Amino acid sequence: MIIETKSLRKVYGSTVALNEVDLRFEAGGIIGLLGPNGAGKTTLVEILEGLRTPSSGEVSVLGLDPAQQGRALKERIGAQLQSTTIPIDLTPYEVLRLYASFYERSLPVERVLQIVNLEAKANSLTKTLSGGQKQRLAIGMALIHEPELLIFDEPTSGLDPAARRQLHEIVLDLKSQGRTILLTTHYIEEAEKLCDRVVLIRSGEVVADGSPFELVGRAGGRSTIWIDVEGEMDPTPLLVGGAEEQGRQGNHYKFTTADPAATIVALGQVLHTQGVSLTDLRMRRPTLEDVYLELMGDPEEADEGVPA
Amino acid sequence: MTNLRGLGELSRAYLLQARRSKTAIFWALGFPQVWLFAFAFIFGPLTPGGVSYLMPGLFALTTMAGAFFGVSYLMVNERENEVLRRYRLTPVSPVTVVLANGVRSMVTVTASLLLQWLLAWLFFGITINGSILSIIVVLLIGALAFVSLGLILGCIAKDMRTAPALANLIFFPMMFLSGAAIPFFLLPAWIQAIARMLPATYLIEALQGVMVRGESLVEVAGPIMVLLVTAIVAAAFNSLVFRWESSEPINYKKLVVAVGGLLVLYLAAALLAPAMRMGASPAQEPTPVPVERAVTAPIDDSIGVS
Repeated sequence: MIIETKSLRKVYGSTVALNEVDLRFEAGGIIGLLGPNGAGKTTLVEILEGLRTPSSGEVSVLGLDPAQQGRALKERIGAQLQSTTIPIDLTPYEVLRLYASFYERSLPVERVLQIVNLEAKANSLTKTLSGGQKQRLAIGMALIHEPELLIFDEPTSGLDPAARRQLHEIVLDLKSQGRTILLTTHYIEEAEKLCDRVVLIRSGEVVADGSPFELVGRAGGRSTIWIDVEGEMDPTPLLVGGAEEQGRQGNHYKFTTADPAATIVALGQVLHTQGVSLTDLRMRRPTLEDVYLELMGDPEEADEGVPA
Repeated sequence: MTNLRGLGELSRAYLLQARRSKTAIFWALGFPQVWLFAFAFIFGPLTPGGVSYLMPGLFALTTMAGAFFGVSYLMVNERENEVLRRYRLTPVSPVTVVLANGVRSMVTVTASLLLQWLLAWLFFGITINGSILSIIVVLLIGALAFVSLGLILGCIAKDMRTAPALANLIFFPMMFLSGAAIPFFLLPAWIQAIARMLPATYLIEALQGVMVRGESLVEVAGPIMVLLVTAIVAAAFNSLVFRWESSEPINYKKLVVAVGGLLVLYLAAALLAPAMRMGASPAQEPTPVPVERAVTAPIDDSIGVS
């Protein structure tokens, strides 16, 4: 178990930032903590990193207690903090060289620059870097010592789409090299695209946990099917099979269904028996976003109260 | 406790930053020279020995300013910008961070002292009665003591708003009470008593010994000991009060131990000071200046004047 928490609780004054959080993560793949700002994601990862101490409960990262065995843990985890803190008046090369010196063993600086695609900027002062380049340098600072576990706190926050995509590629590359990555995000598409496992957090509590596919399935989301036909079709057999008609405009039909496979099979029979021909078919599976909105409720409401 | 490669690299990074920051260069190297020229033009003509006799006080001012403003500000700034928070995620130890700050500050303070010396020699043709090596040793020990004290200030100052207030609170009393700005023997007895409890007084005393009175290091061993003990004790106290993050509360118990420990140190030094011939006015000078030395330092009355 690479990360394990039991009844983890963190309280700031009268605000509960984390409430009875139980997590068990196996090594390997990308684990996403998804939730709105202020849900407690940063508090959780900073407890795992040893920057904050829990109010109660148990934490184990790589089998170590971050609060007690921080020194040993620091050699084995690498992290990027939400507020990127890169020393000024230094170049990426110098920053990475500095960070490399803090660890017992480390990758060559050139190799890290290559991984985070900063070779062209290696000798420019950090203050001249763009937001995406700074974020990539922060990722480089986190992986200089080849840690077993990487923790990224909102690595793409505030980046433009191109910079975000570039960062996604780096994160996926790291995963393909067999590293375990825990990342927080408030972008649903990002969690869906990157993560093998997603933990939904709201107001300091875990509300769902599983692969994006499982979460979508478990939430009982319905797929939407649009069809265009030529000829007069009686959709009753589809409705008997569990589909719901959501509207019809001439020969355009829209159905929702919990079991899209059964509905498609039934549709084939309808077309065959009624002698109607199909001219177009589109289908949309429920997405993580549907699940997210269903579980998180009103995003405005979930934003309240808890500090990030 | 400390990893040598990390210490070397962090010191190197700090020095690169110092070299690349124009504001850092101006405040560390340029600003102390303003005092040199101001003191030379204002007090130079009034002082029997001219600028040569102002140098111990000026060197003390430059050391103090570098330590209390330069050293502490950089540390507070790095803590407030969360650079230290990021270092906290690495195995780097507080000792390494404090020592690297110390190395950087020793280099900048020493550079500004040497520049001041060079300018004083070029513009005012100062004469030195004593060994240059002894003077450098005293300057380095003084810098070590004050950099250690400045680092404590960097650890305890809450943020960039309180750091200047604290630095001024320490700097100005030391400037006026230690004899850096006003000759020690002109101060009333009760201020002299306070002055004996200030580390700056000992630095000026040692510098006057090796620069003006042409004494050897052995003859100023008393004040040098006080400075050395200051450097070691203050450096050790840094580990008590070091903080990675601005949000970390200051441990007041440890702060009281650190500040109290230093006060005890200076109280002891003050009690021993008369035995060290501290800050004696020319009239009270227990060992009369030998005649042959009076030739190189023509105005005996000016001994003890800074």
